[in-house]
Amino acid sequence: MNHSEWLERAEIYALGALDGEELRQFEAHLAAGCASCETRLRETREALTLLPRALAPVAPPPGARARLLNQIAAEGARPEGRRPGWLWWGIGAGAAAGLLIALGWNLSVMRQELQKLEVRVSALRAEVAQKEQTLRLLSDPQVHLVSLAGLPPSPGAAGRVLWNPVTRTGILLTSGLPAVPRGRAYELWAIAGKEAVPAGVFTVDEGGRTLLRLPPLPEAKTFDKFAVTLEPAGGVPQPTGPMHLLGSL
Amino acid sequence: MLGKGDMGAEPPGDAVRLIQQIAQGDRGAFGSFYDRFAPFVLTFATRLLRARSEAEDLLQEVFLQVWRQAGSYTQDRGSPEAWLITITRSRGIDKLRSIRRRDKGFVSIEEPGGAEAGRELKREEGETEARLMIEGPLARLPQAQQRVLEMAYFDGFTQAEIAARLGEPLGTVKTRMRDGLERLRGLLGAKAAEGTG
Repeated sequence: MNHSEWLERAEIYALGALDGEELRQFEAHLAAGCASCETRLRETREALTLLPRALAPVAPPPGARARLLNQIAAEGARPEGRRPGWLWWGIGAGAAAGLLIALGWNLSVMRQELQKLEVRVSALRAEVAQKEQTLRLLSDPQVHLVSLAGLPPSPGAAGRVLWNPVTRTGILLTSGLPAVPRGRAYELWAIAGKEAVPAGVFTVDEGGRTLLRLPPLPEAKTFDKFAVTLEPAGGVPQPTGPMHLLGSL
Repeated sequence: MLGKGDMGAEPPGDAVRLIQQIAQGDRGAFGSFYDRFAPFVLTFATRLLRARSEAEDLLQEVFLQVWRQAGSYTQDRGSPEAWLITITRSRGIDKLRSIRRRDKGFVSIEEPGGAEAGRELKREEGETEARLMIEGPLARLPQAQQRVLEMAYFDGFTQAEIAARLGEPLGTVKTRMRDGLERLRGLLGAKAAEGTG
């Protein structure tokens, strides 16, 4: 399907009027992570706020405000909604800071601790976002799960590619890949027949793990295999190094 | 203090800050947010449900949800107004659909006059008031586009339901919706350029 048709559906979806099969397909498309449809949806929703603004205003009844404030007071001091994660880190850091002062540590030590926590929070946020995307892909019926097996250079390694051939999006998960030598990196390849298309460069953690979001891949190609090779850091346009992982759709 | 068509028209950054404060449990910020947006929400709710008392209940529910879920709002998902509309519309349409299921005849909701539902009526000037519309962006759209946008946005009908009710092909309904939305986006752009918010 031409992508402009998805954008048209995004508009009708924003209006709340999409239904049936078109609705299901569009929600799956959105769940797979389409940035341009998200943008169109947001723009259309903003434009639609013009409609209620054009209505003759209705004033709330005088007692409504007090009733509402009483109700939230009765619910407790704080909303029950999830707090941003950084707040808890902030509170934890605050408590830690108080303790350090009591112990006579100087301010710069506390600042360093806070900076470390901030870095940790950013990393956790990125991790949560990636995991949410993985879950969305896993729940999408259009997504293929491709198992990649370890080849002779790393027989204990394994990988999975979650690939949506409709939206051309996907992710790679690995485990057990050997540590990357200096000046090298792993490269993922999407293979259509005999042609290999670069699909992202990555390194791994101490468990040989990675979670790589695939870049947009060419629409015209039907990929039937995915492979991982070890290449010069920065990646190469065609595979040159030893193949570590391979799997077919 | 209701300015015609300028509800919630102060700088959006202030409203975003209020939502962030609400997420921290700030009741004063919640009161300010209510003062600024309650007329906007109630106006929309009244048009959706066409019943004042049910709209006031919906207003209460929407702001309770704001209090409980302010922490989940992020600016990249849209303006505070668009967020409020999404909450109001989602709850309002659920109510509307359950009323329709209960009553079977949605005639009474979509066409208060009732008897001639099923075919598009030529609306008189006076009926515009009954639909709670005033001078605004809808007035600048062709009637056929206004009609499908209203039926979807304010009456909660899907594209297939609208096509059936108007006796028009689905493709025609979709085209009218998209053309209407394109004009609305243009109007929003012009409004932003004028700096009138």
